[in-house]
Amino acid sequence: MTAYAFLMPFLAVLAVFFFYAFGRAVYYSFSDFNLFNTPHLIGLKPYGDVLSDTNFRRALTNTLLYAVITTVLQTVFALLMAVVLNRRLRGLAFFRAAWYMPSITSSVVITLIFLWLFQRRGAANYLFSQLGAALPVVGAFLLLLVVIQAVQVAWERSRSLPARALDPALLVVSALLAGAVTAVLTVTGVLHVREAVPLDYQYFADRWVQVGGVQVISVPMLVIIAQNVFTTVPTLMLFFLAGLQGVPGALYEAAEIDGATPVQQFLNVTVPMLRPVTFYVVTVGLIGTLQMFDQVAIIGSAAPQNTIVTLAYYVYRNTFQNGVAPVNLASAAAILLALITLALVFVQRRFFVAPESGS
Amino acid sequence: MNPVTRLTLSLLALTLPTGALAQSVTVKINGYGGTDPAVVGDLINRFVKPALARDKINVVYEPIQGDYNKGLTTLLAAGNAGDVFYLPGETLDGFVATGKVLPLNGLVSSTPFIGSLNRTFTRKGKLYAVAKDFNTLSVVYNKDLFDEAGVAYPNAQDTWSTFAKKLTDVKSKLGSDYSGLCLPPSFDRFGAFAYAAGWTQFDAKGRTNLADPRFVSAFNYYTGLARNKVGVQPSELSKDWGGGCFQTGKVAVAIEGGWIVNFLKDNAPNLKYGTALLPRADATGKRGNFLYTVGWAINAGTRNRAAAVKVLNALTSAQAQEYVLSQGLAIPSRSALSSSAYFKRSDAGALNSKVIFDGSTDGNVRGFTFGPQGSDWSKPINDALAAVLSGQKSAADALRKAQSDMNAFQNR
Repeated sequence: MTAYAFLMPFLAVLAVFFFYAFGRAVYYSFSDFNLFNTPHLIGLKPYGDVLSDTNFRRALTNTLLYAVITTVLQTVFALLMAVVLNRRLRGLAFFRAAWYMPSITSSVVITLIFLWLFQRRGAANYLFSQLGAALPVVGAFLLLLVVIQAVQVAWERSRSLPARALDPALLVVSALLAGAVTAVLTVTGVLHVREAVPLDYQYFADRWVQVGGVQVISVPMLVIIAQNVFTTVPTLMLFFLAGLQGVPGALYEAAEIDGATPVQQFLNVTVPMLRPVTFYVVTVGLIGTLQMFDQVAIIGSAAPQNTIVTLAYYVYRNTFQNGVAPVNLASAAAILLALITLALVFVQRRFFVAPESGS
Repeated sequence: MNPVTRLTLSLLALTLPTGALAQSVTVKINGYGGTDPAVVGDLINRFVKPALARDKINVVYEPIQGDYNKGLTTLLAAGNAGDVFYLPGETLDGFVATGKVLPLNGLVSSTPFIGSLNRTFTRKGKLYAVAKDFNTLSVVYNKDLFDEAGVAYPNAQDTWSTFAKKLTDVKSKLGSDYSGLCLPPSFDRFGAFAYAAGWTQFDAKGRTNLADPRFVSAFNYYTGLARNKVGVQPSELSKDWGGGCFQTGKVAVAIEGGWIVNFLKDNAPNLKYGTALLPRADATGKRGNFLYTVGWAINAGTRNRAAAVKVLNALTSAQAQEYVLSQGLAIPSRSALSSSAYFKRSDAGALNSKVIFDGSTDGNVRGFTFGPQGSDWSKPINDALAAVLSGQKSAADALRKAQSDMNAFQNR
């Protein structure tokens, strides 16, 4: 009884705000409810209307692409970052804190910063403009770097010394030499920075990545993906870091004795051992991305709506209008979103990584 | 006095005010947040309370912070909205469809108010609100830039072509750092030009025709101003509206309403500006304009209908409106105010107000509204404007796509 007493507040909240609300949404999705009338059941019509709505289809495509791309990117980056931050580095605490910062910053603030970065005369366009202006100098430096490094490596090897192509010591010397030569060429006027032509690329415009004439994903959505990866990677990284603490060091020692390279160790020890964590990270990532709303809402009219509309935003837009609203369509879309989320998690669990397989 | 008598008297004293309040009626008003609570509070104290003191009507103002329309929708749906509330002209249709807005025919006299404003709030012969105040669009110009370029100021005689010539001259005289006009890619500014050409928002069947030659001519004129950077989108100057664009001092003209006056006072106090009526379309010889207006409406579900009507009348009384005008707070809606002393003042703000007031009756003036399907109606037009102004599409291609999107939207 004591256990139930403690559970009571939670169960009450769950009953009212989840089960009751879910039941109402299901009921509304089969009705003609517009927020002000008495709902009457009209069967599957709202689902038909929603599925034939081009906005819904765009929202569905946007949501699925966004969920898949973002989840893959954030999982890969989080894993790589966790592996890096799991090493003994000088100033490790600082790096961990610094990398974690985006995660604890409000998504509203981050979205506003990204809007600022990617506006027509924003920092991104400015940096690209400057890079274009400095291209002769940067290009010359890189070219010299490659040539000098190649010469050094060839010379070392001609003396039968084991020099790798990217040998760090030789690379430092190559960089110093390339820098010095570039500086001389710039000072003598052989190389010079061009006049920067301001880049006016509009990221938040009706621009699309097209495949065979079909609009696949919009540029504004790619900016949102970059932003979301930037903010969620740190949190997911923590899960991987925790998982890495549990991987026995003996496995790496054994792999090393067997002659495994660091990449082989990563692929054959780290990745399999982290499967349960990966399953969790992918599941959380999928659910989170499928329900993405805040970034779209904040960007609002700054980008054309069909470029960034997601299912969660579609539901919101159709529920909270000015006066009467097609709440039945919004409810149908919400139910479809719930079903898609369930299906994706189920498929992910069934065919990709089951938690048991890692143990 | 013995304790029992003292107790009895004390209890009597406590119950007296409660008894008095029980007979009084409280009328709740919902309106915007921001500066409105101060303004409406002032109106209530100065005009409403004295007028209704004898009727024992108590008035309270409850602002809805954030998105007003969404807030009001929620309150109306939940049955908690005020007895009287602001009803914005652009969202009128959505709220009328709820059945929660009381028709005012026979309850309130609309005669003293500007006819075009009454029409904005009328649907199928029923008046749903009385305009509280309003705004129209005007040509706001930077005097220094015109003086420096040696070009005559815009004026009421300008047509589209003379207006464009002035802007082009200013631009060519002042060079690449300057532009002629702020051109937001948005129906809420461009639409006035389409109305000037004689275009109508909806036909008899409620459909919108963007292939109408009158719409196309306005579209070509508006987007054509972007050629050679005579017109510049606010976003190109890292601004999000025409006023912000104008405030930079790099653009000669903005098409904005009276709201720009206080904005400039706060953000560009040294910018010398003048105001003119919008130019006339060459083909029709008429101006177009929007009426941006908010009305006072009454909740159909109110239990204090008579009191709410009295409050509405007091809020829109001649004295209250004269006060609002004289304070430079807004342009009120009574036609008689055209002879107000305020409009004879010579400061830039009062001159702007006069042009805004005159704009409400000059030419093809329409209420700023999106029709029954809400604000998404303007999206295809806005997208087309953005695509052409930023050089991504030709006008013909953009309009073709806009019409197809509009058809899809209206078929929903």
